[in-house]
Parts: sequence; structure tokens; C-alpha cells
Amino acid sequence: MLARIAQELFWLGRDVTRAEHTARMLDGAFHADVAGVSGERGIALSWEGVVATIGAKPPVPGEEEPALPDPEPLGRGEVARLLTLDTDSPASVVSCVARARERGRTLRDVISTEMWEALNSFYLSLGRYDLDAAVRTGPYSVYQEVKERCALFWGLVDRTMLRDEGRAFLEAGDRIEEADMVLRMLRVTVPTGSLDDGYENEALGLLHAVGGFQAYRRAVRYPPTVGFVVRFLLFDGSYPSSVASSVESLRNALFAADAQPRSSPPVLRLGRLIADLELQRRAPDAGDALTETLKRVQDELELVDHDIDTRYFAIAALSAVHL
Amino acid sequence: MPDAIEMRPIENYHVPAGCCDELLADDGTPLPHAVSLIEALQRLGPEALHAAGQRRDTIFMQQGITFEIAGSDGERRDRPFPLDLVPRVLTAAEWTTIKRGLAQRIRALNAFVDDVYHAHEIVRAGIVPWSLIVSRPSFARPVHGVRAPGGVYCHVSGCDLVRGGDGRWRVLEDNVRTPSGISYVLENRVAMTRLVPELFAGHRVRAVDGYPSLLLDALRAVAPAAEGHPTVVVWTPGPLNSAYFEHAFLARQMGVELVEASDLVVRDAVCYMRTTAGLQRVHTIYRRVDDDFIDPLEFRPDSLLGVPGLVRAYRAGTVAIANAIGTGVADDKAIYHYVPEMIRFYMSEEPILDNVPTYLLSDDLIRKEVLARLAELVVKPTSESGGKGVFIGPQASLAELEYQARLIEDQPNQFIAQELVHLSTAPTETGDGILAPRHVDLRPFAVFGDEIRIVPGGLTRVALRAGSMIVNSSQGGGSKDTWVLDDETQSELSPGTLPTHRPPRLPDVRYGGWHGQEQQQQQQQQQRQQSAGPGPGPVAAH
Repeated sequence: MLARIAQELFWLGRDVTRAEHTARMLDGAFHADVAGVSGERGIALSWEGVVATIGAKPPVPGEEEPALPDPEPLGRGEVARLLTLDTDSPASVVSCVARARERGRTLRDVISTEMWEALNSFYLSLGRYDLDAAVRTGPYSVYQEVKERCALFWGLVDRTMLRDEGRAFLEAGDRIEEADMVLRMLRVTVPTGSLDDGYENEALGLLHAVGGFQAYRRAVRYPPTVGFVVRFLLFDGSYPSSVASSVESLRNALFAADAQPRSSPPVLRLGRLIADLELQRRAPDAGDALTETLKRVQDELELVDHDIDTRYFAIAALSAVHL
Repeated sequence: MPDAIEMRPIENYHVPAGCCDELLADDGTPLPHAVSLIEALQRLGPEALHAAGQRRDTIFMQQGITFEIAGSDGERRDRPFPLDLVPRVLTAAEWTTIKRGLAQRIRALNAFVDDVYHAHEIVRAGIVPWSLIVSRPSFARPVHGVRAPGGVYCHVSGCDLVRGGDGRWRVLEDNVRTPSGISYVLENRVAMTRLVPELFAGHRVRAVDGYPSLLLDALRAVAPAAEGHPTVVVWTPGPLNSAYFEHAFLARQMGVELVEASDLVVRDAVCYMRTTAGLQRVHTIYRRVDDDFIDPLEFRPDSLLGVPGLVRAYRAGTVAIANAIGTGVADDKAIYHYVPEMIRFYMSEEPILDNVPTYLLSDDLIRKEVLARLAELVVKPTSESGGKGVFIGPQASLAELEYQARLIEDQPNQFIAQELVHLSTAPTETGDGILAPRHVDLRPFAVFGDEIRIVPGGLTRVALRAGSMIVNSSQGGGSKDTWVLDDETQSELSPGTLPTHRPPRLPDVRYGGWHGQEQQQQQQQQQRQQSAGPGPGPVAAH
């Protein structure tokens, strides 16, 4: 398939999933903020943390250090606006959806009509909302709508899209984004050092922000302390949003898409990463081991992303430069 | 209404005579701990409050947070659970008193249950008559001499507290059988944060969502020794039970199985559940089934909801049941009278929370006095719950008074009389966004495993009809979110707590496409110029 189309599909998957996870995280942060869940002991789903996670201030090209965050702590209102409605901020939910819809338009011949309609009506429904008022009074309904629309889109993918190479790229984008979002949130919110006990409220906040509270309760017998929650979100293969699940699906998707998967750098790299995760899961906890694992996995994923770019999409980018 | 004067939610608010209000002083000014809440309410205005109420009903219907109510035509229909959007606020100091008082009372009740089924010390000391204890319908002969694991019988309790006209807290009723309502406490809080987040601004409200963890810890703590992890289940009578929502809620939140009687089986005095992988041992049962129905071999033989042989397993100590069988004897309305004495007897302490003055009617002298003052008193049947059969003297007609007097003369043991408490009031939305005083009570929920732990606040029930003091949801009552404020309320107004550590540097997020960012922007600009139609952003679309 065309490299350009493959890349658009890949990024379509990323955008939809980024919108969903941003909405989930904001919903979780809202609840934690209002219900007084955030603790004073160093980890919390704070608004600063949310901004840091989503990287709402994109780096200016050519600048080495990212701009320092404002000394003034960002409040609920500003963050909600910045990450939900702000069309100028590429990280906002609205921007993600707008980008996804633009890609959907480009891909109308590749994706099913129903998928395109789902994307388009998603975008239009956000436009109909009085988002400003909704964010002020009850942003819950906005985030609920985003979650439902995303679920609808993926449901239609399952039902109507051909299981071909394109589908594999779409799914790859979905899974790499999911792994990245979960990792980012964990890295921002989890303190360094020993994670043995305590932080129960904060850990609950984390689970809510991923939407994994019930799954955790059914899968893990221990009370939700940070150590257990991080391990669950990182390693638990039975939970679909865990990093281990996402990485495995990502590898499977690329394996299916690649003409020669056995010599494909991203597939090989992911294979190593999966084995490494499994090894870490079995390793005993010691000091900073978990936080270091988080960092290493994310660095690895960045390289995977780079590999994907080089192997599948670089040709298209080349032509764009020469235009 | 363009020229209407701007209404505020609190206008012409009159606290009923003889009552005290939870948020406002007699002259209508907010109490110190409620100042910022009242301000937020006034800022919000009646229309926003009313609109939030409509959103609430929609969300509750969607999520299935409903209860059945019989309409005037006798037909039963689902109604959204009536949550009033104005919270009830308790200060940290007040809560500390309540917490200590409840812990003391629950310890005493627990000691009483242990005593009733073992040594009978309180009877021998001449404090509670044995004849009264054994004549209670909830006295459970089959568990005589059975000691519950860890000596804990009342694992879960919810006492009803009221604040009288003098501002003091009193215990109105104990409930150590299967108190319900905790699911509404948790759902109410979630709903409040979603519907009216602006009310929380400037407050530090203690979180309530730790309850399922507390309960699960307690249930595991009392489990008989198990290899590996004890298996805990929640036992429901079935989906037709009015509290089924709560049973399912707790099972879901704790991540344990929700079982019905047919899922459980007892073999050789050990309790198992039937799973796809065969029988699996059950260690602790959190049961929401009454004693009477629990085991047809020991209690009602016609019970279809029970598990034959369960009491045998319980006696053998292979399964813990929460609450223990036979605890009902401690929350009987006739026993209630003796609770302050129990606290002195078992704990050698003075009760922190008082009883409402109560009269047992079996004594001839007392009965005469009560009958003479019947028009001022409240009379309750001892064996009913849920506000059924409660007789309120001051609101009764002459015929009702006579009828009640005859009932008492016929069966004095079936009733108790209590002084009327003027329940405190709290501002409550009345349907048009305007607030009026309505009477409230408070049911905090305690969990007793290794120690007694109480969720901050509890369920505030509110009588939605003006003047009514019956707060039961089966009788047209609603509920309120209950806030317990942290001490440093006013000082910490910063939005969101900052983490003390700086987040690590993350790899940059990419918002890529096949054309570089610069080109994308160019293209977008082009589009903006070209099309007068829908632009790239939704804001431009409307």
C-alpha cells in the first residue's frame, strides 16, 4: 500500500486513542481534584502533572531545552481549556479529533464509510457542544462523549474494515499511542524510590485515570497501593490497556503488516522489548527498579516509533521534501 | 423573565422553631464552616442548580442508580435515586466526636452480642433482663456458644444519628444487621463532583472512596486460616431485592464474586462455591440475607434463599459470616434502651453519644405515664424497620391517638416510646432551584475487622416533604452528599496540590503526519483562506 496512506492510517489510530486517553486522564484528574483524592506526599494526579504528561507545550524545533513551565501553577480551568477545547494547542482533545477527521477525509477510499461517518460526526458533535460552559459546570459529560465516540469508532473498525495491511497500521498507531500515554502518566505521577506501601488514594486516582479500576479489582488480590498498580498497568497481560498488552499487540500488528517481518527492525526491537518486560515482571522489586523500567520502556518505544518511520514511511516524507 | 429580579437559591429561608440548621444560623447568615459553600451556591443561582438536577436524573437513569417506588396506583416503577445537590457539611472537630462515640458504641454492642451467646454477664449483673433478650425475634438460638473469628460479630454497622434542637448529637437507632446505603454515599460523591464541581472550590473534603478497600480488608482479616488468599464473596438474595444495586456495587468495587444461594454449597461442614473449575472453598461471606433465611435446616425451613448446612459450617469455624448470625439482638429497639448501660458495663466509660430518651412499655407505671403523654411522644414497633408503623404523637389525630393507645395496651412489649427529637434541618433544593429547610439525619458506616474504621461522613438522609421527619427512602426521603472538612480548610485554596518532585523529562510528544509540521500549517492556512465553510477547528464550525 502507499506509504503516505499507511502513515495516515497509523496517525489516525494515534489521534483517536490520544483523544480518548486525554479525556480519561482529565476526567480522572477532575475527580481527584474535586473529591480531594490528591495527596500531599509527592504523587498526585495534579494539573501540572497532566500537562507534563500530555506535553501540552510542544517543543519549538531547533530549541534544545523545552520552555520552562510557568512559575504560576496551572489551575483546573486553564488546564481543562488548554487540553480540551483549545484549537491552537495540538494536544487538546478537540485538536486530536480534528486531525483524525482530516486524516479520515484523506483516507475515505481506504476506510469504510461508516468509520468516516463516525469520525465526522464525532468532530461535528464536539462543535455543537457549548464546550466552554460544559467545562465550567460539568466536564464529565464531554469526556463521556469522547470516550463513547472513540469506542464507537473502534467498534466500527472491528465490524467493517478489511483485515488488511491498512488495518494493521491503524491498529499499530492505536497501540503505540496507548502504551505511550500510560507510560507518560506513570512516569509523571509515580515517585522515585521504594513503592512498597501507602499512596492508596493516589493509586486509585491513577487507575481511574486509565479506566482500569474494576479490572484491577478483579485481577489483583492486593489493595491498590502504588507498587501494585504500577506493576498492573505495566505488566498485566490480561488487561488490554497495560503496557505489556499494547506492546504485544503492536508487534503483532507490525508483523502482519510487514512484507518481511523477520528482518524488520521495529518488529525485532519489539520482540526484545516484550521479552524484557516479561523478565522485569519476574524480577524482584528493588529500589528504583520500577521507575527505571518505566524510563527504559519508554525510550525503547521512542526508538520503535523511529524505526517504524524509517522502515515504512520515510519514502513518502522524502518525496514531500523534494516537492 | 427579562425584568424579573435576580433570584438567589437562599431567600426567605426560615429555620423551623425548635430546630437547628446544619448550614445557617437562625438569622439566615451562614455558619462559619459553611460560608464559602453558601457563597458558591448563591453564585450558582437557581437556574444552574435546577439544570444540574435534571442532568443528575438523566445520569442516574443511565447508570441504573435507581430504586423502585410504588406509585399511587400501586404500580412499581424505577425512579432515579433522589440526591439533593446541596451537601451537608461537618467540621473536623465535630466528626472526631462522632467517630469516637460510634467506635465506643459499636465496641459495646459487639461485646453485648458475644455476652448474649456466651457468659451472660450483663444478665447476671442485673442490667438487661434475660427474658427480654430471649423474647427478641432476632435472638438466634442455633449460634449459642459459637464464637466468631477474632471475636468480631458486628463487622459492618450503620447507626442513625440525629441532631436535636439543642445542637447535640444523639443516636436514634442502631443497625448491626445489614445496614444499607453505603453505595449511595460513594455514588453521591462521584455524582456531586461531576454535576456541581464548583461547590467544592475552596474546600478540602475528606475522600470516601476507600470504603470498599476497608471492607475487603476487614472481611479478609476475619477469615479462618487459609492457604494463600482467603476467598471473600458477597451474598445477595437476588436481583429482586431492593438493595441489589448496593450488593452488586460492593462486589464490583471489591472485585469479589456476587453469589446467590444456589451458588453456595456446604460439604462436610465446609462452604464452597460452584465455579467452572469445580467447587472452590469460600472463607468469608459478606451476607445481605437476613438470619431467618440463611439456613433452612436451622431457621425458617421454608426458606428458598438459604444454604442448607451453612450454620453447621459456621459452628465448625470453617467460614466467617459477616455480620455474624444473631447480631440482630443488639439492634433491637427494645435493647436500644440499654446501650448506654452496656457502654458503662463493658467499657467502664461514659457514653460519648447519648440515646434519645426511651421508655419500655412493659412496666405498668411507665406505661401509664406514656399513655398520658402520648400526644407528645413517638411510638415505634420494636420489630419493624424502615420507618414502618412509626407513630408521631404531635402529628396524630384524636382517633389515631386512641387506636395507638389500644395497640399499646394490648401488646406493650411490641412497642417503645421515645421523646420527639426535632431533627436538624439543612437547605434543600425544592424543585425550582430555591432552597428550603428540610429535616435530615445521618448514618455513618463503620467497618470492624482488626479495628473499627469509619468512613468520613456517611449517608445524610433528608425528608423531602416540608415539615416531615420521616427520612426513609421508602417513605419519600432523599439523600445528600456529606462532607467532612479537613482542618486546614480555609488556608489551602490553591487549585490542586503540587507534586513536590519535578516530573522527569519525557520524550517529546509527536503530532506528526507525513508532511512536516510547517507544511501542515501552511496547508491549514490555505484551507482557512479558501473555505468559508467548516474550518479546521470545531470552534469555527459553529
